[in-house]
Amino acid sequence: MLSRSAEGLYWMGRYFERTGHLCRLLRWQVESLVDRPIREIHFGWYRIYGSLGRPIPGADAELVGGDDDFMLVDSFALADDLTFERSNVDSVWSGFTLGRENARQMRHYLSAEVWTNLNQAYLKFRDLRIEDIWKTAPESFYEALGYDIDALAGAADTTMYHDDAWRFMRIGCFIERAQLTISLILAHVAATRRTGESLNDDWSSLLRVCQALDVYRRRYGVTIRPDRVLDLLVTDERLPRSLTRGMDAVAEELATIKAGPGPAAEALRLARSLAETIRGDWPVRPDLDLRERVLDELRQACRKLHRLIVAAYVDYPVKDRPSN
Amino acid sequence: MEFDAYAFDDGVYDEMFQAAGAPRPHCRNLHDWLLRLSAEEIGGIQEWVTRSFLNEGITFTVYGEGEADERIIPIDCLPRIVSAADWRLIESGLEQRILALNRFLADVYGEGRIVEDGVVPADMVYGCPQYRREMRGVQPAHGTWVSVCGTDIVRTNDGFYVLEDNLRVPSGVSYMIANRKAMKSSLRRLYRLCRVREVEDYGRRLLQTLREVAPEGCTDPAVVVLTPGVGNAAFYEHMFLAHELGAELVEGRDLVVRDDVLYMKTTEGLRRIDVVYRRIDDDYLDPLAFRADSVLGVPGLVAAHRAGNVALANVPGTGVADDKSNYAFVPDMIRYYLGEEPILANVPTHLCRRAEDLEYTLDNLEHLVVKEVGGAGGYGMLVGPHATPAERQAYAERLRAAPAGFIAQPVLALSRAPCVVDGRSEPRHVDLRPYVLRGSETRIVPGAFCRVALRRGSLVVNSSQGGGGKDLWVLSDQEPDAVA
Repeated sequence: MLSRSAEGLYWMGRYFERTGHLCRLLRWQVESLVDRPIREIHFGWYRIYGSLGRPIPGADAELVGGDDDFMLVDSFALADDLTFERSNVDSVWSGFTLGRENARQMRHYLSAEVWTNLNQAYLKFRDLRIEDIWKTAPESFYEALGYDIDALAGAADTTMYHDDAWRFMRIGCFIERAQLTISLILAHVAATRRTGESLNDDWSSLLRVCQALDVYRRRYGVTIRPDRVLDLLVTDERLPRSLTRGMDAVAEELATIKAGPGPAAEALRLARSLAETIRGDWPVRPDLDLRERVLDELRQACRKLHRLIVAAYVDYPVKDRPSN
Repeated sequence: MEFDAYAFDDGVYDEMFQAAGAPRPHCRNLHDWLLRLSAEEIGGIQEWVTRSFLNEGITFTVYGEGEADERIIPIDCLPRIVSAADWRLIESGLEQRILALNRFLADVYGEGRIVEDGVVPADMVYGCPQYRREMRGVQPAHGTWVSVCGTDIVRTNDGFYVLEDNLRVPSGVSYMIANRKAMKSSLRRLYRLCRVREVEDYGRRLLQTLREVAPEGCTDPAVVVLTPGVGNAAFYEHMFLAHELGAELVEGRDLVVRDDVLYMKTTEGLRRIDVVYRRIDDDYLDPLAFRADSVLGVPGLVAAHRAGNVALANVPGTGVADDKSNYAFVPDMIRYYLGEEPILANVPTHLCRRAEDLEYTLDNLEHLVVKEVGGAGGYGMLVGPHATPAERQAYAERLRAAPAGFIAQPVLALSRAPCVVDGRSEPRHVDLRPYVLRGSETRIVPGAFCRVALRRGSLVVNSSQGGGGKDLWVLSDQEPDAVA
């Protein structure tokens, strides 16, 4: 397929995964405004911004203390920044519209069902402002948009031909998912250090964002232990959002795509080795520092994998006349 | 929907009514069906059609100072109906016309007989900015220079007239098909009763056409659609066509030329391309051949074409045949190449480059439409009867300064068709743009993009200037059922 199309579909997969992830983060965050302690709410904002690698707007302001009114005003501004702010490249709006823009340019690869669902979601989103969603239950906005994005993935799976176009979309989705999950875990750990406390509720909310709370309970029971949370999110092969699962999927898709003139074999080797690294090197010992280091290495490796894929299929040099 | 207040005018051909309150026989079903619908029901259909365009993202993008704005072309939900007999006339006229135009292009880029024989003045051909010397001697397959043509046709009380032949990169065909899809869903029963001819296989016919113009010896040609990119107003159409053709939608940056062979950059390496359906203007197609500052085109593409290694549809340089001055000579071209009388008439055209025509034009500005020879999209023209004395005066000065840059035509009383305006039916002026395909043979889908001048009294149907569209139904020869 056309290299630029592969790249467009790859990024489409990434952007929608990113948007869905942020919707889940914000959904639980704004829901927590109703009844959670202010400390927990502050923790949540630090975790979100930390996972995006962005400072909290308002410069050096520390979200500490304050009363309920301040907390709500802060949350309104932060939710607006992360949802509707056009100039924030990490906002829900930016992610969604960039994903749609890629889809619009690659529309001839998409099924009518995928495109129409996506476009209808866009039309619902297009004219909204933070004031519109804040009036009643803002979490329902994030929930609905998250469902729309899940529906897109489902529609793609069930209505698109499973060819290279579909595979590049999935590769983008899984690489993004791996990077987001790692960033979120690392931000969670950093926010825990900042507050000096490691509370069960914080770890529960982490599981919820990764759509893994129910699975955790089924597997480990109701007692939340940080080491088990990490084991589940990193190594569980049956959990859709685990790192192992994601890397296996990337390797599987790369193995099916016909290798191009770039370093495709290297990309495949790296994807396979990442999955194996997680299986073999994930510390059994619940040593948080050690696990943090491994996650950081995985994050670097995911970035390298992204670069290799782009070099293999998109940005390879064109110098000579081809042999065919 | 009532027609009591419908402003019927004897002086203007009405597509639905032959006299006040009396529908034409082929429009009776539509008329009777509309009478049974309330204003609310019609409003609901209109809203549904508009919504379906929005939902499917059938839009064009307008770039302003702020965010890019995606808009839809306003679509009127009442179809315009063309009888089988009228369509036969249009079809045969179009077929005749595209044959003559292709012969003309082959001639002026070859021997130039028509010029030598004094039928068309040499300077109007070789001095035309759209004449591309780089194309001299090129011999496309089947002598087909124009593979896709969109011909603008209007109707008056005197019959059909060709307004212009769009031979470069005619657009709008996606709207013809999108309109049909929306109307078919919303007027299901009526559609079936009327026995409307289908337009949906346009993509298949286009692909067949493009494959036929592939370079000699190419048995399974690889076809791509070349777009300037997502910023282009017609990008939706480019994407739509790629989808219909099952072809890649490429930009200039996706293509490279090596040793006069065109390749596309794929995930598996370079892949040879045989046919390019290009939707980029000549000027921007190849910076080595035309505008050197073009970043949209493909360096070396024209050389690859000249070497016979890739076909371009349409071939660069076809603009010389749809230039507004040379348009005046199309009837002569038909007589010259085919030995036939034109089936479809041209609008009488005064070439201001001729002293007597200029004088006539200046003396009758208030009765004429004056157009720039290289103009398009309805821009830069003067509609004399609608212009103020000051506007006419200013235009006259431009005419005197560079008369060769203008032509003048009488103001035609374009036909009108009923449209839904504020829940009521009101007549609006319309034209039609059917699409003609030419490979080794001519193919014409029985339909057209029907353009509508939505502003009351306006004659300007261009979408860039407030025009809209409506579906056009060509009826089959079979007698339609009556509305039960």
